[in-house]
Amino acid sequence: MIMRAGQNQPAAAREEQQKSEIPFNFTSQIVHLHKDHSLFEVGDVNRHLYLQDLYVCETDAPNPAVSVSQFACHISGCSAVFIALEEYEHHYNSLHRHVCCSCRRSLPSARLLDIHIQEWHDSLFTILAQRQDMYQCLVEGCGEKFRTSQHRKDHLVKIHKYPPDFRFDKPKKDKRAKETTRLQQKDTEMEVTEEVCDSEGVCEVLCDVLCHHPESGESMEMHVSEKEANGMTNHASGTEQSSEPPRPEYFNRVPRTVCFGHGSVRGFRGRRGRRK
Amino acid sequence: MQSVSLFVAIALRQARRDRQLVSKRLLLNEDEDISMETIPADQVRVKQKIFCDIYVFFYLPFFSQENSMHLLVSFLTGSNTQCRLHAIRCLHELSHSPHPSVAPTCLPATSYLLTYLSGQSTKFTELCLYTLGNLIPDSDVVKEKLLAQGIIPALASCIENQRHHLAVVEAASFTLSQLLQAKDAAETIMSKVLVSTLPSQLLSVLTPDPQFGLAPAIECAWCLHYMACSQNGKELLACGALSKCSSLLWSLGCAVREGNQDEGLELLVCPLLRCVGNLLSFCPANSLTDQVGDVKLVVALSAFVQAYIHSRPALARESAWVLNNLTAHSTDFCSALLTHNLVPALIQSLAFSEGINTMILRVLANIANKKKEFCVELVQQGLLSSLCATLKMADAEMVTLSLEVLFMLVSRRPLPRSGLQTRSRCLQRIKVCSTLHGTKQNSVNTQPETHLAQQQGQCGAER
Repeated sequence: MIMRAGQNQPAAAREEQQKSEIPFNFTSQIVHLHKDHSLFEVGDVNRHLYLQDLYVCETDAPNPAVSVSQFACHISGCSAVFIALEEYEHHYNSLHRHVCCSCRRSLPSARLLDIHIQEWHDSLFTILAQRQDMYQCLVEGCGEKFRTSQHRKDHLVKIHKYPPDFRFDKPKKDKRAKETTRLQQKDTEMEVTEEVCDSEGVCEVLCDVLCHHPESGESMEMHVSEKEANGMTNHASGTEQSSEPPRPEYFNRVPRTVCFGHGSVRGFRGRRGRRK
Repeated sequence: MQSVSLFVAIALRQARRDRQLVSKRLLLNEDEDISMETIPADQVRVKQKIFCDIYVFFYLPFFSQENSMHLLVSFLTGSNTQCRLHAIRCLHELSHSPHPSVAPTCLPATSYLLTYLSGQSTKFTELCLYTLGNLIPDSDVVKEKLLAQGIIPALASCIENQRHHLAVVEAASFTLSQLLQAKDAAETIMSKVLVSTLPSQLLSVLTPDPQFGLAPAIECAWCLHYMACSQNGKELLACGALSKCSSLLWSLGCAVREGNQDEGLELLVCPLLRCVGNLLSFCPANSLTDQVGDVKLVVALSAFVQAYIHSRPALARESAWVLNNLTAHSTDFCSALLTHNLVPALIQSLAFSEGINTMILRVLANIANKKKEFCVELVQQGLLSSLCATLKMADAEMVTLSLEVLFMLVSRRPLPRSGLQTRSRCLQRIKVCSTLHGTKQNSVNTQPETHLAQQQGQCGAER
């Protein structure tokens, strides 16, 4: 490309560079096939059958061979495959649209994603939240703000009639809770699985069964633990809880602030607490 | 029954992949017991074949004795013509057996069979031809001996002298096709065939006889296919093979388009497609229209794609392959696809797998590659929205080709009023798509993929 004097050379050079970076190089090609090419396989087999008087001409027999091309999700790590374009688009729109790039959780709407990012990954938010009401109500148009996520949750349940275990309102787990759970780990032989969030999977939150003090209006984990605690204490042999002096709350169950996220497989997989 | 045939098909496909698919033909005895008349014809054939195999199994050890074959040959060459006929039937049934010792057993008789090819008894000649055809793939020794004894000129004379007896012509072509399938055919056999009168004779038989049927034309077409597969096949252009095969394909295409329900048309379409497809690779671009004849051949090929896409997808794919070869270097043929309004149907075919959609997309890419005006027409006929679907397919080759086509369509469109900016924005987006497609396996961050989806949506919106 000839550059004229006085022209804006950097822009022209940029375009030239752009052109050379373009990876497209389609060229029309005539394809010559040798007689053993795989493209000829079916025809050769038919010829063989014809020579052996075994060839079947009828075309109304259902042919299982012809198939529609599959669509595949192109997101790395997602191996979903679909027959219809609509299925693929539904999958993509449902799971890959509003994804947090820090923790890879998928949220159902842009607004919830924004709130999630703000509350989970914004250090300024954390600082401000100590001094003022920052947790906004999840219902669009409500506009109310709250000091803690628990207050927000109470508001959602009481005013907006949300279920107490609403999936998209899990508070973030903090470092304190991590240490606590490690202690618990030693005591109760449970393992924390540090797996990647699977936004489609069912929340496999299983927690410590040894719950003595149920709190009202808690999330799903607590309900489960309470039931299991009632169930398990009957079966547990030599359980230390009954004989030992009562421990502080946080040794016996998953703290409120521990959040496993929507659909996360990170969770406790305790042998005792495992639902079968 | 269906599961049995599926199993057979799988076994045959594997045999073909192992280069061990050997086809033999058994000419059944028409002068059979009258009691068989009440049984359906196909069952009779099955029974006869089974009987033949059992017969051979039991009697092969007998014939393996040198004296026994000597005795058979003496009947074959004796003065009693009925005995000759029985002897040749016996040999023919032996030759049909897949047992590996059959060919060496029959070796002493082969020179006589070759001699009899120039005889006048058509039934006898037919049996000799099929017997030789069955023995050739089994043994290199038999093949070398026959070549040395001049089987190729003998076949040429046979076809020429017996051209009014189409059954003999069919048998001779079958035998030739067995020779041409040999592994070293390109080096040893092809040159001999090309210097003989066989190519022109095969071409003359190619037009099916309405009364006799397709069978002789089918055999000739297969011979031509094996010749066109080798590099020597370019010699066939001089005989007018491309022109003849193309015009025949055109007639067959018209028949298929009209919904002709003749059984077995596809048996002739298949080898003809292959001939044309491979001969096109030898034909210089500037003489393409002369050699092929009418550009309307694209109409026939598109008809084959539509007609066979459900019932015989492999044949639809071969038709698309020929379309690719026709359109690769020819603006005339690309233009014909547009003027005959064949593009919408091709675009519909992009949904199918089995390799059909990649070949069709190549054809569309060939069209886009020729001229700006063709790109505009392709967009008008709805190619962009189909590309939005094909970009999401699981087949990596489809996605790559879709990006290439999309790039051509966008970069070659006439500039919109907003000018360079819009075009370079589009090209940037397509470049992003391409880079992401290439690195999709390594990407960790989901945000670029979200970006990709947005590009796809916007590309579709921009028409």
